Amino acid sequence: MTEQQTEQAPAFYNQTWDLEYRHALGDTAGRFLNGLAEGKIWGIKSQDGRVIVPPRSFDDHTFTKNTEWVEVGTTGVIEMSTVVYEGFRGLPDPPYAIGYALLDGADTALVGYIRGVDLTDQEHAIEATKIGTRVKVVFAEKPSGTSADYWFEPID
Amino acid sequence: MVNVGIAGFGQSKLVTRRTDVTFPELVREGVELTLDDAGMTMDDVDAIVYPLAPDALIGVNNGERWVVDALGAAGKPMMRVNNGGATGMSAVLAAWTHIASGEFDVVLVAGADRVSESGSAQSVLNKMWDPAYERLVPLNTITMLALSAQRYMHLYDSTERDMALVAEKNRYHASLNPNAHLRKPITVDEVLESRTLAWPIKLGDACPATTGAAGLVLVSEKYAKEHNLQPAWIRGIGQNTETFWMGDRVGPKHRGDHADAVSLEEAFQTAYEMAGVTDPKTQVDVAEVYAPFSSVELHVIEAAGLAERGGAPALLREGKFRLGNEGTVVNPSGGTLCSNPIAVTGTIRVGEAANQVRGRAGAIQVPGARVAVASAIGGDHQFYSTMVLSTDLEEI
Amino acid sequence: MSDKERDEVAVLAVATTRVDREEHRSLEEMIFDTVTEVLGKAGMSRDDLESIVVSGNDEIDGRVISIMTGAGPAAGVGHDVTMIASSADHALSYGYLRILAGQDDRVLVVGWAKPSESVSSTRVELMGAEPYVLRQVGMSEAVAAGLQASKLRGADYRPEGSVVAWPLTADELPAEADSVHAIIIGREGSFDPGQELAWIASTAWSTSSYELGERDLSDLSSLDSALARVEQRDPKAAPGNWTGAEIGAASEAVVEHVVQQLQLDPAKTNASGRLSQVGTSPYVTGLNRMVAAIERVVESNEQELIAGIGFHGFASQAASVVVFSSEKLV
Repeated sequence: MTEQQTEQAPAFYNQTWDLEYRHALGDTAGRFLNGLAEGKIWGIKSQDGRVIVPPRSFDDHTFTKNTEWVEVGTTGVIEMSTVVYEGFRGLPDPPYAIGYALLDGADTALVGYIRGVDLTDQEHAIEATKIGTRVKVVFAEKPSGTSADYWFEPID
Repeated sequence: MVNVGIAGFGQSKLVTRRTDVTFPELVREGVELTLDDAGMTMDDVDAIVYPLAPDALIGVNNGERWVVDALGAAGKPMMRVNNGGATGMSAVLAAWTHIASGEFDVVLVAGADRVSESGSAQSVLNKMWDPAYERLVPLNTITMLALSAQRYMHLYDSTERDMALVAEKNRYHASLNPNAHLRKPITVDEVLESRTLAWPIKLGDACPATTGAAGLVLVSEKYAKEHNLQPAWIRGIGQNTETFWMGDRVGPKHRGDHADAVSLEEAFQTAYEMAGVTDPKTQVDVAEVYAPFSSVELHVIEAAGLAERGGAPALLREGKFRLGNEGTVVNPSGGTLCSNPIAVTGTIRVGEAANQVRGRAGAIQVPGARVAVASAIGGDHQFYSTMVLSTDLEEI
Repeated sequence: MSDKERDEVAVLAVATTRVDREEHRSLEEMIFDTVTEVLGKAGMSRDDLESIVVSGNDEIDGRVISIMTGAGPAAGVGHDVTMIASSADHALSYGYLRILAGQDDRVLVVGWAKPSESVSSTRVELMGAEPYVLRQVGMSEAVAAGLQASKLRGADYRPEGSVVAWPLTADELPAEADSVHAIIIGREGSFDPGQELAWIASTAWSTSSYELGERDLSDLSSLDSALARVEQRDPKAAPGNWTGAEIGAASEAVVEHVVQQLQLDPAKTNASGRLSQVGTSPYVTGLNRMVAAIERVVESNEQELIAGIGFHGFASQAASVVVFSSEKLV
């Protein structure tokens, strides 16, 4: 018998990790997420005067608690963005665009999907979502209480 | 200060998939290659530091416990490091600490990864993000670095072609490296024409999902002298941490732009100060730097002081950083771009740098290399590890 | 090992947050509060910190690469942060090594576990079983502890009360809670004399085979090899000299066995509470007891030498020991 005929096929075992979690989000994140249902974007001021969006109850830079709530604007500017064309298992079907927008009154940028842009032509998509693009926040009509309740759309 | 050297480096062939071994068997392979290279057995090893990043990628929680037998670590002190992508190198720094403390003379760092074994690597890595704010947007390693690449291009007027120069250089290097994963050379045009993953990162700009094992043996100066070893000497180390929040790295009030690697620059400065490196451009012969995408290598070159901020593309256009050219050679092994077994990718950077200063790098040897640097990045450009190595203990 | 004289290292401050189920604060907020507290107790600001060693388990907390969200709240931004991810006990030992290595004068160590984030911690524990054989069988901390206890106690043992995993009853198994422990340690000379809470007299850690079938589960070889090192490096810190012990393990059967083997005084063992009385999680159980040992040294008026012992991995696969002393052992 030849080497090929006696070779064994590799053995496999399929396994899925199905671990469920119920993450405690904390009151600060809770307030932001509830604000989305009211069409508001909440930020919080850190001790060194930066308005942090999305809000966190403490600032890792000054290492102090943030306590002063600030409502920020629902328009802003894209600071960085990308358009995704590759599908990955477990993630949404492409194409989609995501970006970080610095909203009016905020000192840190908020991440979100950029919608309302035709992404089929890559060059057009990159241009329409580039750094400096002015965007508005759009809120979901039926809020779910999660960060899926907002996204950005370019202001024409 | 106790001097610490690297006396052995082993790595398996780095490939997409290994269907012939279990994870512990793969680890064992790496251990044997490493100990062989050092001319030692497990009996000589005093302690183990085990690098393992997400357990989810190998499918076993606290996978380091599972591989104790494969490592031959029963009865020995062992701990595991998980600093994300920097893990392989953070583990080496932890091993340095073990020896520099005076408590151990010989420490093994050895591990493995099989990134493609989990079919859902990017979905797993989506769970790195904050549960409240960031999981529902499909951030993962590719998108987070696409954002950085886009900002870099915007700030410094560079192009996708500049990114492609890195890919072409590293794939050329990997073609000479028998252990590398992606060994087929690529042209700049092929990179530019490859399909977009997350713009501006294209397939040609991206690292592969690699399976492989690697390890290092670190020794104290006392042990090296007693056993007539010629290790690569660790002259400086540094680690630093950036804010987790990428949104804090943009806008007028940021403390470090997401386009740059400011915290890495600080970590390099710490290592340079410790090592007495005052002018990296002239003093550093080789740099093995973690850069899983071509764009990352641009700002890492700058953070290492090998170019001014925004200046790496111009130097690459001149042909700098390439094997065979004058000046510092960056990633002669092909780097992380060509081989990325996540848990040990940082270990391999150190091992490749060590081989260079020990004159054992074979086909990818930089002639006369005496001083090398290695670096690694973990998290969302959040955790940085740096190291300076040299052939001897003389002033750099 | 080096011939140089070893620096003396002391514990300067300790803070613990422990809640049965923390539903109002995120894990990161719990870590931030605990670290803020320990800095206050040490009279330090975050800028006084040098490096930080953190320790958490991704799967318990539901984060992939938990150092990412954990470093910031542990005061890590701008600092050297290492995550020791095998067990929180190791983080303390590693922090100690950093001081001996001359890298830092003071180190912050933070270990945590928030099991309430998991819908089922048992399911998480099952993922620690290798997928080829053990996961089919079904394994968890309690089941492994049962197997081990059956060996320790023998076939003739008759449990009293309702059995969870034979021969262990519910009150012999550890209680679960969300917890964060933060500890600041410092080199002698880097703090005012008298500021120290306790000295670290010795530390050692070791492991044994993963394969339950290859070990005699009644034989705590991981602890034996750790203690052998303590005896070799620091004979004055050996078990024969201990005035007390705090032991974190998967069952009271293990605690009993250690007491017997080391001839400890049961009245001076786990004075901070039985396993079922102190909520913790397997990942931090040892660090939890190390903190308890420190607190006992502080509270006592006598000279004390109290060991904190932690086991981790199924059926005590690995063991860590840190011995705390009210006086420097010279």
